[in-house]
Amino acid sequence: MKLVLSRSSMTKINSRNLRIVILLVTFVLVVLAANSSALAFGPEDPEEPTGPEVTPTPLLSPRQLQPILPENPSMADLGHQKWWSVCMACHGDAGQGLTDEWRETAFGEDKNCWTAKCHGTSHPPEGFIFPRIVPPAWGPGTLKRFITADELQQYLFDEMPWWDPGSLTEVEGWNLTAFVLRENGSLPADLELDITNASLVPVHLPIQPVRDERGWQIVFIGALGLAAVGLIAVSNQHRERNLPRPTTRREADPDSLAQNARKDPSPPLSPSKRPSFFHHLHPPTIPAAQARWRYTLGAGGLAVFLSLVLLVTGALEMFFYVPTPEEAAESIQVITYLVPFGGLIRGIHFWAAQALVLIAMIHLARVVFTGAYLPPRRFNYMIGIALLAAVLLLDFTGYVLRWDEGIRWALMVGTNLLKTIPLVGEGIYRFVIGGDSPGAPALIRFYAWHIFGLTLLLVIGVSWHIFRVRRDGGIAAPKPVRPIANPDQISEASLETVQPTRITRNELVQREVLAMLIAGALLTLIAALIPPPIAPPIQDSPTALLADARAPWFFLWVQQLLRFGDAFWMGVAIPLATLALLIALPYLFKRDQAAKAVLGRWFPQHGRAAQVILGLILLGWIVLTVLEYRLP
Amino acid sequence: MISRQDFLQISTRAIFWLSGLLGLGGVMRFLSFQPAPPPPRRFDVGPEIQYPLGTKTVLPDIPALLIRDKNGFVAISMVCTHLGCTVEYKSKAFVCQCHGSRYDGEGNVTKGPALAALTRLKVEQSPDGHIIIVATQA
Repeated sequence: MKLVLSRSSMTKINSRNLRIVILLVTFVLVVLAANSSALAFGPEDPEEPTGPEVTPTPLLSPRQLQPILPENPSMADLGHQKWWSVCMACHGDAGQGLTDEWRETAFGEDKNCWTAKCHGTSHPPEGFIFPRIVPPAWGPGTLKRFITADELQQYLFDEMPWWDPGSLTEVEGWNLTAFVLRENGSLPADLELDITNASLVPVHLPIQPVRDERGWQIVFIGALGLAAVGLIAVSNQHRERNLPRPTTRREADPDSLAQNARKDPSPPLSPSKRPSFFHHLHPPTIPAAQARWRYTLGAGGLAVFLSLVLLVTGALEMFFYVPTPEEAAESIQVITYLVPFGGLIRGIHFWAAQALVLIAMIHLARVVFTGAYLPPRRFNYMIGIALLAAVLLLDFTGYVLRWDEGIRWALMVGTNLLKTIPLVGEGIYRFVIGGDSPGAPALIRFYAWHIFGLTLLLVIGVSWHIFRVRRDGGIAAPKPVRPIANPDQISEASLETVQPTRITRNELVQREVLAMLIAGALLTLIAALIPPPIAPPIQDSPTALLADARAPWFFLWVQQLLRFGDAFWMGVAIPLATLALLIALPYLFKRDQAAKAVLGRWFPQHGRAAQVILGLILLGWIVLTVLEYRLP
Repeated sequence: MISRQDFLQISTRAIFWLSGLLGLGGVMRFLSFQPAPPPPRRFDVGPEIQYPLGTKTVLPDIPALLIRDKNGFVAISMVCTHLGCTVEYKSKAFVCQCHGSRYDGEGNVTKGPALAALTRLKVEQSPDGHIIIVATQA
């Protein structure tokens, strides 16, 4: 641990130096930038026309004239040129769109564009008909379908201009994006927009300098990794120091060896060395077989860790999230793009939630495939199934809290499914939605269930689950081996086999911390590399963005099932029947079978039927998910 | 004959669970509260002349397809009768993105999983010649 501490303090010093350097550099940059922008906006002064000579026509307003390029044109200035020559005719000189006023100003007598000779039904070859509505390009209520600059650029590049999409070059696309953002008041000063930073520039939020948090992220992940390495080194040292102990104990009192192997092998400890609160949550020692990675897969422990991460990151998000239909999606944009490390925290919350679903399934598979669901662990198995259901509901409610175009249809379908339940369906629907269609009451309900109701159930359930593991005699493992039938036969060799069969809580906690460090580093890495999905706020016209009609990935299998037949049977009955089947698994076997069961091994003889059933469920789940995912 | 002690024990237990059920029922009633359903929404979609004879117009806000033929106006709701997604209108057919239901130009089902045809919405004309579409809540 010492090693780790000194490392992290070193990075602290380094980062302080770094900060000073960064401050200096930014200061220099800001001074330079201020000068250059002064240059850029110089030509606002009408006295010094530096550009090409333009003969002013009294009909044209100054904005309609070709914009004059300053000496060091910025991207937005170049974009303005392109706007003038390509976009302005339809979208207006002030980005107002094809309004009556703009048609009057720009085209005079020819203002009725749709019957004019260029855009009427019998247009010349180089003419074309255009849509009745040409939307404004910036200002309040515009650009709704874009969240970040890269989306806007992609759209311009793919879809514009209307009569010849794809004719803009990539650079022109970026220049136009910069221009539109500048007019919209959301272009950070002196930012050279490009593919590396555009996904960090929000279209609808006030200007903020683009922060680069990658350095901090690398340091953070590195610190976690170093701590893990340090921990491994420390525990190796510890183990080496502890090795000779059994021999001395045997000499002292060979008769109590069997007993000692079951108790904490260390002598009474001084108060400072007594187990801490966290150590005390564990039994003094446990059989090593219960803590073997290749047996437990570490899934249960990881699920607890992920739940804790979710609690913390979720609580952090609550400081900024606003659960109203008008502001929910935008508050998530604020968390993602404006709040320092908000994108990372949201990413960790998202990925921890997705990982929790997977880990919970793996945990379930481990329990069934090793026969651990039999009495006396049957009750704990039930708690586990309830926790799995709670996790799925938590994931779905959390997904809905985005309240953006990406969740719209999943919410619609998921809640309308409730209505198909005979007799009680309508009532359940109202209970969940709080009205006749998803709206503000639905959002606040999902919010309350997500942050309180279901979370409370999860916390109680997890505590109970862990308590029952201990009460039921630990994780299912082979009965402890007692090789010492006769104390005289004790030899060095038999000691070797006895001693490693149990591990102390110190060792257990060390392994847990190690797993947490590695999982934490991986989670941060994934969150830093792959941003969670985000979509524009829900708009009034539902046809606007119909493309994204997918369920969240863990419910894709239901979406695929729904394509096959009746909504109630496919969407409600089959999923519930699957759950019922999982609950019924331990009851498929008689009690005497449970007594004979071989515990602690993968795929034991006694539970073949259960293994096959779960295998089929998992296979079906995967196949249906893949089928739905692969649809265009 | 049941002993006095057993009777007390059983009735105490029964009352204990009954109080739990009553409490749960109260919580369910509490959580199920909702204001009265809003009246059907009426959409003024502009004057009649905007929709010449033989046109079909998608009105995304309702959402509905407004058809004007020689018999007058017909409005077909574009809410899928399966699970409520908005259908797309393309090449004289309605297609649902969510689960692949298809309807013909009249709104009749041509491919499942939807079972019922798309609903016809009431089309009214105001005295000043505006078209009004009455959308009933799903």
